Amino acid sequence: MTDVALPPLLIEKLPSGLTVVGIQKRGLPLFHARLSVPAGACEDPQRKAGLAQFTVDLLRRGTRRRPAPDVDDLIESMGAQLAADVSMEEAALALTVPAELAESALDALLEVALEPAFDESEVASARRRTVAALQSDLDDPATVATRALVTLGYGPGHPYAHPAHGFKRDVETFQREDALGFHATRYQQQGALLALAGQGEPADLVALGKRKLAQWQSSWPGHSQRAPLQFRALPPGEGLRAVVIHKPDATQAQVRIVSPGLPRTTPRFAEAVVTNTALGGGFTSLLVDAIRVDRGLSYSVSTRLHLNRRAGLSVFSSFTKNETLRELVDVALEKMRGYAAQGPSKDALDKTRRYLAGLFPLGLESHEAIAEQIADALLDGIGLEHLLKYRSRVLAVTPEQARTVAPDISPAGEAAQLIVVGEADAARKALAGLCPVEVRHLEEFA
Amino acid sequence: MPLEFNVEEHALKNGLQIRMLPDRSLPVATLYSFFRVGSRNERPGITGISHLFEHMMFNGSKKYGPKEFDRRLEAAGGSSNAYTSNDVTAYYEDFASDALPLVLDLEADRMASLTIDDASLVREREVVKEERRFRTDNDIDGMMDEAMGALSFLAHPYRWPVIGWMSDIEAISRPDCESYFRTYYAPNNCTLVLVGDFEPRAALREIKRLYGPIPSGAPLPKVANGEPPQKGERRALIRYPSQAPAVLVGFRAPHGSDPDSLVLDLIETALSSGEGARLRRALVYQQELCVDAHVYFGWRMDPGLFEISLKLNPGVDAARAESSLWAELDRLCRETIPEKELDRAKNLVRATLLRSLQTSNGRAHTIGQMEVMLGSWRTMLDLPDRYAAVTAADVQRVARATFPAHRRNIVTLVPGELPA
Repeated sequence: MTDVALPPLLIEKLPSGLTVVGIQKRGLPLFHARLSVPAGACEDPQRKAGLAQFTVDLLRRGTRRRPAPDVDDLIESMGAQLAADVSMEEAALALTVPAELAESALDALLEVALEPAFDESEVASARRRTVAALQSDLDDPATVATRALVTLGYGPGHPYAHPAHGFKRDVETFQREDALGFHATRYQQQGALLALAGQGEPADLVALGKRKLAQWQSSWPGHSQRAPLQFRALPPGEGLRAVVIHKPDATQAQVRIVSPGLPRTTPRFAEAVVTNTALGGGFTSLLVDAIRVDRGLSYSVSTRLHLNRRAGLSVFSSFTKNETLRELVDVALEKMRGYAAQGPSKDALDKTRRYLAGLFPLGLESHEAIAEQIADALLDGIGLEHLLKYRSRVLAVTPEQARTVAPDISPAGEAAQLIVVGEADAARKALAGLCPVEVRHLEEFA
Repeated sequence: MPLEFNVEEHALKNGLQIRMLPDRSLPVATLYSFFRVGSRNERPGITGISHLFEHMMFNGSKKYGPKEFDRRLEAAGGSSNAYTSNDVTAYYEDFASDALPLVLDLEADRMASLTIDDASLVREREVVKEERRFRTDNDIDGMMDEAMGALSFLAHPYRWPVIGWMSDIEAISRPDCESYFRTYYAPNNCTLVLVGDFEPRAALREIKRLYGPIPSGAPLPKVANGEPPQKGERRALIRYPSQAPAVLVGFRAPHGSDPDSLVLDLIETALSSGEGARLRRALVYQQELCVDAHVYFGWRMDPGLFEISLKLNPGVDAARAESSLWAELDRLCRETIPEKELDRAKNLVRATLLRSLQTSNGRAHTIGQMEVMLGSWRTMLDLPDRYAAVTAADVQRVARATFPAHRRNIVTLVPGELPA
């Protein structure tokens, strides 16, 4: 397998610090625009967890030119649905339209991102909606587990230690000034990126982006001063400990095992991804084999690297009926600890390298996927080399590299935490004698 | 404007249908195997066998033993998955294009000689039971959906859930599986769809070599379809310790190949796609009754359901949310939908179709789905024009036919514990 060529593209960094990317994507007559700004969840102020997400949700609830229903009509009459996502690092707005609507779509995207009204009544309404949604999320054990693992995995005070949607107790305090202030200081040109994918030449796409951006050049802040975030190292562990989050009536327990992992910028990215995939990434990985195929303990088993820019987590995820919780945890810990010591077998390593390399082009197929991949590579500071050399780097991972990185990507490290969302009595009995167990209330994670 | 795709059509003597669409832009391809079998082909006592069997298809065959299917595939740069619906079971592989010969060999081998043994059945049964606990027993949407099927269908097999009743999953035997395989996994009940980076003549040659010797099966048993007309509103209630109430409403709707299904696609979009959709605007933003208001209408082989799911805000009275919903449906029946709003729905549907065709997997799935559900992949080509031809009068006519009060099926979730 050889490296995969990217489609024709042009990258231009403007004096303001904004990057514009034009990507030529032939085939279907579609146009995609994606604007990323450095306004991710890690920027949420203290006791304001969820403000980045709240702000992005409010963007389309009215601009200085038109009220919310007219914004919806403007976007959706083009056949588009506006995606508004918040990662730990960035907020991103994106839409895809038939090619002939490219100019109108870009106008709409920039208006929504840069001219929000933050009308007082819309802020109050969004606050009530978000609080209700956070409360309802408690009905989904997997969602609760995901919220808990971020919170507990990074630990108190860490900029990544909260889910993007925040906590109910914080959202209840949000006022118009919070969203206004966040937008004014984080939606800046420095560090932002506009990616455009369509049928035109890359230079024409970049020219289109610059022409549209010129309308906002004077009103869009280039750079705002703010205190840098403090990313302290995650604390070393003192052995496994468990947190059980009580979900009444649950007949199945959601299980997460989480340890400090590697950041997105690690130079060991290729071996980390290969080694994690052999452990719990593919359908024939070690853990899927042991837990699902050999023992029938669960329908779903995986390990995943949460690779944020300045810190990461390694996470094991599965679920099983209450009666087999202990067996699943024991098997998972035993296999992961053994793997941390020995790394993958030669066969597993060979298989995983080819698996990842073979499937890599699938992530470049759609307009949305290629724009996101290129935007993330540039914003993460790892450059297009990451995409251009992905296959050869993955295929070149050696057994020694995999063995060396294995303990650093294992969810069952020294600082591992076991998180169980399920019926507390059943879980406590199942985990007796394994490690200290603390039972927490579901409501804490709303 | 119609879409343009140069799909090659072939058929083998044993009845296997083949559809191929080459695209050399990236070194990847997708193979789908669509079998015309789903939960509608089951009977009480073995409900869930279609889905359980989907799992069994990964447990080894004559040439490739247990665990070999995915191991060989992943080692060649591919991945596989499958799904089972009420009507079909579909298997697919996404893969680096040079793995095509292996992928075809793996698929043909399990069609020709699947191994069905007691040990793998026992293990896979436990996996499926976990899946059921995950998707249904501990999931509000799943438990409501299951109740909706049992409420709205009295006689048709759509009455039971695709994953099956727990007691049936436990009871399905190896002879049941063997009989099922012989009946439904014959080449004459399958459509292969290959899309991506391959050379068509070589691929067809390989398909003929590998699939050609597999004998065709007997004609399929007839599906029981004696559903009586609904003569009044039906209700079911679930009590569960949830944070908030929820309401799921279902109306009997036409089968997928009925032209009115396209009108219902547009009604679905007008009601719930995007933030400006009627139900979201009214129930989520204006009246603040719901966290989410979502409509689902999927094409089915037999008359199916048009479903509306309301996830209420904590503390909201379900009856109040219901009456707001009835008012919106009534408005659709009483007033002609404005052209601008109908155009919005048409544009959203067209754009969704286009976006689904961006990937090899998306194109292969759409081609296969059109073949199996509507009889020909060519239906895909003029879909945009057929949606464009729908009028506001069509919307009103179909809304009136679909949403009368006596055809309502309503499942309500009430927060609370059951008495011990």
